Amino acid sequence: MNEELTSIGGPVCNEKLPASLIFAEGQHLTHQNKEALWDIFEAIGKNWSNTIYDSNNQRSSWYEMLKAKTENAPNYAGEYVNAIYVLNELYSMYGKDEAFKKLFFESGVDNSAPPTTRLAHCKIYVVNEFIRMQITAGGFKSWGTKYGGEQARNYHGFLGGTRYNRIPRVREYDPETTNSKNDDA
Amino acid sequence: MKNQYDYVIVGAGVAAATIAKGLLEHKHDTSILILEAGPEIIAKDRRFWWDYITRGERPYTFTYDQKFEADSTGNIEYQTDGVRVKAYGGSTMHWGAWCLRFRPEDFNLHTNTGEGADWPINYEDLESYYNDAEAFLSVCGDDNANWIPRSKPYPVPPFEWTAADGAMIEAWEQLDVVYQDGDIDPGTKTKIKSGKMPIARYRKCMTTGTCKYCPIGGRFNAQYVLDDLKNDTRFINFEVRVNAPVHKVNASSKSKIESVTYTDNLNGKKHTVYGDTIILASGAYNVPKLLRASKNEFWQDGIGNDYDLVGRFVVSHSMLNVVGKAKSNPNGWFQEYDFPTLMSHSYNTKEHQKKGKIFMFKNRTTPNVDIAQLMIEGKTREEIDEIVYGEMTINLQAFLEEKGKFSNRLEAKPGVDRFGLPLTTVHFSRTDEEMKNANDRLRLLEQVIEKMGLEVTSSRIDKPGGHHTTGTARMGTSPENSVTDKFMKVHDTDNLYVCSNAAFPTGSAVNPTLTLTAMAFRLVEHLKKTNQIKSKIEDVNTVDTI
Repeated sequence: MNEELTSIGGPVCNEKLPASLIFAEGQHLTHQNKEALWDIFEAIGKNWSNTIYDSNNQRSSWYEMLKAKTENAPNYAGEYVNAIYVLNELYSMYGKDEAFKKLFFESGVDNSAPPTTRLAHCKIYVVNEFIRMQITAGGFKSWGTKYGGEQARNYHGFLGGTRYNRIPRVREYDPETTNSKNDDA
Repeated sequence: MKNQYDYVIVGAGVAAATIAKGLLEHKHDTSILILEAGPEIIAKDRRFWWDYITRGERPYTFTYDQKFEADSTGNIEYQTDGVRVKAYGGSTMHWGAWCLRFRPEDFNLHTNTGEGADWPINYEDLESYYNDAEAFLSVCGDDNANWIPRSKPYPVPPFEWTAADGAMIEAWEQLDVVYQDGDIDPGTKTKIKSGKMPIARYRKCMTTGTCKYCPIGGRFNAQYVLDDLKNDTRFINFEVRVNAPVHKVNASSKSKIESVTYTDNLNGKKHTVYGDTIILASGAYNVPKLLRASKNEFWQDGIGNDYDLVGRFVVSHSMLNVVGKAKSNPNGWFQEYDFPTLMSHSYNTKEHQKKGKIFMFKNRTTPNVDIAQLMIEGKTREEIDEIVYGEMTINLQAFLEEKGKFSNRLEAKPGVDRFGLPLTTVHFSRTDEEMKNANDRLRLLEQVIEKMGLEVTSSRIDKPGGHHTTGTARMGTSPENSVTDKFMKVHDTDNLYVCSNAAFPTGSAVNPTLTLTAMAFRLVEHLKKTNQIKSKIEDVNTVDTI
């Protein structure tokens, strides 16, 4: 265990781990594990104010990702359980809301370096991947309305797809209106 | 293990899938063996898809060409690394699915310019097969587009232009150079309009984990077709062997090709399989290397190479790239689709052929902000807002047409890659005039960016490369000027065909896959007729014998 703490959290967060995925073949998540992880996903939407209904409209997609990541190799169950250890320590040290602020905005984790602490594993394998998934599932849509303009519907093709065929997939070019707002550009 | 087939096809990409489907649907018990050097990559897998979404990982990247597997000589580097997928399904495992027809003048390049080569067929000879290919690949496109004569509408309607395309459309409209008279309807002042990119959609999302654009509707992937054929109980004599690199094509006489030899990469054993007809449907890299490696008493320099033409006339596309910057993005524009929706054929006309056509399109990813990455980096909502509505870049790109030259050549270098295929050397040079023309074309793109009110921040000509390599076993009218005839049959043979980008005499300024697919449909028709005639002759001989 680390004697000198170099980032947020305490001894659990700063405990050294190999950078590779935590081995977990054959392990499964409990219902309680999933609920604890859902708190991370929900907090992403709250902290960036980019989702509605407390992210519940993305819940089925998120569950599907969790299932795919824990029922096929390499199994993420070890990473997910590790993230719960990290969260519990952060909750106890900072309280729940502040814990997420520190985890999202002040973690001190280098996102491009191999993760060598429990905290870094949590940030890179769980938080960062949840963020990517959240944007893919529609979290991008709240950006694009600052000037009362039409909001983006699609983000590089990830959404607006086959399940939503009756909904226009993108903001389309309209020579009458679309570009007038850019006259000042 | 069975070793005699009606058809042996080398390569398992779009050409092989098209040919096999056509022949099997014509005659269900036709025996066909496809030999693929690469492995089968698992597709339709949700885990792979999520790993792509969350980690940017694709399951097939290990099959890409590596830099050390090819040498490049000449006055410009030829990019070979990372451009092809060697696997079941071929490069349709990761292609962009842009499906553009060649234009009529592309088939008469030499006649029109004195450079490059003519095809032994015209656009009209291929037009109905283009219809077949578009239906097969489910190409979505704009029926109002007038850049090409066509006898049937697109099978699927187009994707609309995105709002982010608007400024470029307006700039093109203001620049006369974009709305030139084409040769579609001479004398009528028909204008070539800004276009909507035709894309092969094929099916609903199959969550392959290999599709960059998922789920726009699912790009075509030859895997789907081959899987369907393998699972169809009518086609009892259809077989695909993966991990099976072919090393040699064997002849029993000058004209009779009897078999191919391959290695089973799983156990190292060599096998020879016999075919009444042999079709080389691997790409423009492997076809010439295989033909040249196939030396025998009848073909001392390799099959089809009596005139030292195999591997020559390498043609590719270079990408022209101009990036412009605006100080702000008040609409928060993104491209919104990860493929280009806006294109122009204004410089892709007969008038531009001498200097080198270009095919222009707006970059598939601009303008864009990687919001997820900013969140990962810990940027707050307010900070990301500033970035989204702040500085914006837009990138205009174009493929540049190249003309085949005798001295530009692709050949094997000693050694084999991980899949047992020969390594590659590409000798490729451009003349000073070609370099000047390319730079002139770049200025045209810069004009558009400037017309949009943007500051040009980058303007460059990318390296030529293996993405669209064509021309290494080209079609023609005689063995003195080409490797294959107008049906892609190797000259002086009775039963060896090349259905590959290798057979293209020119590369046009657009992507080759739709044209290759159309050529595959045409070959199927040819084989059906040829083999009908053959069986009639055999029947007559049988009666005579009795």
